[in-house]
Amino acid sequence: MNPPEPASGLRWRPLTPLLLAAGAALLLAAVVLRNPVPLFLGLPLLLAPVAAGVAGPRGPPHAALTLTAEGSGPEVRLEGTVRAPPGVDARDLVVEVDRPPGLLGDPRPRFEWSRSSVKFRASWSAPNPLITELVPPPVVWRDPLGLVERRVSTSADPLVITRYPPELLRIGAVRLERTTPLPGETRSRRVGESGEFHGIRVARPDDPPRQINWRASARAGYRLANEYDLEKTGDILVLLDARPTQLGSATDERLFAIARAAALGLSDAFLAVKARVGLGVFGEFLEAVPLSTGRTQRIRIETTLKRAHLAAVAPPPERCAVAVRRAFPYGLTTVVFSTLADDSLTDLSPYLRRRGYPVMVLSPSPLPLLSEGSTLTGEDEKLAERIARLARRNRVARAWEEAPTIDWTDYWSLGQFVDFVRRPRVRRAG
Amino acid sequence: MIEFAEPSRLRAVRPVSLAVLALPAVFLGYLSGFPGGAGFVLMVAAVAAAGVLRASRIPHRAAYAPVPVLIGLLLEAVAAPVGFGTEVVVGLAGVAFLVWLADDPARPAGGAVRGLSGVALPALALGIAWSSALFLPSGVVPLGVAGALLALAIAAVAFLVGRPSLLDRGEARS
Repeated sequence: MNPPEPASGLRWRPLTPLLLAAGAALLLAAVVLRNPVPLFLGLPLLLAPVAAGVAGPRGPPHAALTLTAEGSGPEVRLEGTVRAPPGVDARDLVVEVDRPPGLLGDPRPRFEWSRSSVKFRASWSAPNPLITELVPPPVVWRDPLGLVERRVSTSADPLVITRYPPELLRIGAVRLERTTPLPGETRSRRVGESGEFHGIRVARPDDPPRQINWRASARAGYRLANEYDLEKTGDILVLLDARPTQLGSATDERLFAIARAAALGLSDAFLAVKARVGLGVFGEFLEAVPLSTGRTQRIRIETTLKRAHLAAVAPPPERCAVAVRRAFPYGLTTVVFSTLADDSLTDLSPYLRRRGYPVMVLSPSPLPLLSEGSTLTGEDEKLAERIARLARRNRVARAWEEAPTIDWTDYWSLGQFVDFVRRPRVRRAG
Repeated sequence: MIEFAEPSRLRAVRPVSLAVLALPAVFLGYLSGFPGGAGFVLMVAAVAAAGVLRASRIPHRAAYAPVPVLIGLLLEAVAAPVGFGTEVVVGLAGVAFLVWLADDPARPAGGAVRGLSGVALPALALGIAWSSALFLPSGVVPLGVAGALLALAIAAVAFLVGRPSLLDRGEARS
């Protein structure tokens, strides 16, 4: 349910009562003192708010608002334009842009006004991978004296800002196991990650050298890449562990935000190659997005990840395995996002494996976050870091006994995970 | 690519509109009935305080900029002696105050020009009032009638303040 839209009628600003009170006081003084001089000051003060209200738009105006977020990696560049409705000077429009949570940088964007439009730009940075939402900023018409204002309606949708490690875009080339037979399908003669040749397209920065068509690039003068009919209609389940850990709610929240962003990146990569992707968020219970593909599925996954939050209690892992078995077919390749911060008895992977799901664990390490908040210095700090690192290695090694586990320490890089997933021999061994 | 210029500190003060406010206000302080040039000093201090508050980058501090000028003008107008010249200066100070309000440094430049329609109506009313005072015979009875009319005007304004939607041309969406 959408929140109720604020009233678009005329509103007095805080200065108006002040002027009216001063005007009334001057009138009273004039009558009491039998001196007409205060009346001459009171008159403009009393009439100014009414004149300001009459001079502005007499109905609820509607403006066109466009928002774009650009940049890559941690950089987020927001640009927006508000086109003023006819009869309204854009210089009288006030746009209130708030920095979305999770981003750092200028709290207020920089504005440029012209008669017909307001343009604004902000440079923010994401300290970690994230999914956040920028709600369309409220636009208000305000008279130049600042006495009255009226809300301007806009029709822009919320802008979702996602930042995840760029290596994830390469991961979609992995051949996944299918859980459903496709009637009448024929396998490509060419096995591997490419499939049949489909055509040539302009190369992207993340295209591997082997995919570049060097002859065509030499003829065209710019880089072109081969595009293949990918036959991968494999399935994958992305499962987020949203149970609280002993790290505390603040660290848990940050790690969960990072995991959510990576889960969206992983889903994007596989959805881009027509794979079926399912999503599960296991907090107190399992919230599942069933397997599907396409843009609609991308929106479903994004919406679920945006509103996903940590649970207040940690239920037994068996509950997750049972719920996954009900929602997803047997044999589904599963990537579990878990911090592995608690005792190994709480790990999801053994329970999922017993139910027939080949599991791979991607574990965002809490060590970088813990070292940020450390109060130790010098030798003590080094010693504490070393002990924490050893404990973490031990924890990951124990998790490896059940399923391949990647320790994710650099939040802006998932090269290690992508390389691991792209090696079929190692993957099958898991 | 949009290029945005950093506003300078001088632009933040908006010296032209500050001068427009300062001239009649300080002159009113000079004309007012305060002894020993206290009125003059009071108005200079009020205008200076308003300028400093407006130049502040902190929005909630800048919002209080009109208060010292308003208080200064209020005190000066109440203490000012009766006279046609004083009435003109007081009225001009009121209009100049509105012009200064329109030239808010937190808003795009040119506010004083855009806000002319909001200033013109009070200025027109002021002109009519002053010419009436100048050309019509005055006495105790006309002052009472004027007071009653102004009381009615205040009641009308208060009514409008309570129902701003009356100024809407169409039905406001809720």
